[in-house]
Amino acid sequence: MKVKVIGIPVHDQEKALKFYTEKLGFLKKIDIPLSEGNRWLTVVSKEEQDGAEILLEPSPNHFEPAKVYQKALFDAGIPYTQFNSEDVQQEYDRLSTLGVEFSVKPTEMGTVKIAVFNDTCGNNIQIVQML
Amino acid sequence: MTHYLTEISRIKNICYSNKSQIDRVVGTRHFIIHNFEKELNLNLLSRVRFTSKFHLLRLYKLYYGQTPKQYLIEKRLEAAKQLLSKGLSITDTCYDIGFESPCSFSTLFKARFGLSPKEYQKKATFTKSNHS
Repeated sequence: MKVKVIGIPVHDQEKALKFYTEKLGFLKKIDIPLSEGNRWLTVVSKEEQDGAEILLEPSPNHFEPAKVYQKALFDAGIPYTQFNSEDVQQEYDRLSTLGVEFSVKPTEMGTVKIAVFNDTCGNNIQIVQML
Repeated sequence: MTHYLTEISRIKNICYSNKSQIDRVVGTRHFIIHNFEKELNLNLLSRVRFTSKFHLLRLYKLYYGQTPKQYLIEKRLEAAKQLLSKGLSITDTCYDIGFESPCSFSTLFKARFGLSPKEYQKKATFTKSNHS
């Protein structure tokens, strides 16, 4: 078995696509229309285009427990997903300039540096740099 | 303050309060990053950070979850991917990244990425020519 796709629940797929591509710099990989306006929509890291795909899935709109779980995590400030970065401070500076809101500013935690931002689609996302 | 911020602060105090230990393992990792193509072993790494080798091994595993040797191999294999993509031969890649035997290099590479260096190089060349 291989890890190929990881899901992130989002309220609005089009808005999520814009955020993940225009702000984070990911690339759209797969976009297949499904029923009722939903899409199988994935993005990948520009630096690792053969790496795992992020599936921007509209589960909070269709499954109440998913919505409740996502909101509980968000309200507690807990990141749903984590991405690796070569330089968290640089990424923080770049994303802040683009208007991205951080709930955790770059913080050293032993052998890593972390920061957490709001993806505007219902999730906290953590970026991490190995020190 | 969110629940997550409270937890970060709590865990930091419990797990990461020993700055001198953290400096040692981070310093060791940086030394590996900048010298991975050289002949590195635990004796040398422990001398660099003035620590006994067993203490360093224990600390490194505690903070990074792997041994310095495991990280060294990981670093070399990642570098190998770049050199192979640039078209360097398998033997030259092997020696450039610090391995002594092309055979053990190929075995480790295949175990790590699921492709032999030759297969990886072929795939990388094919992908590149398709994109250009």
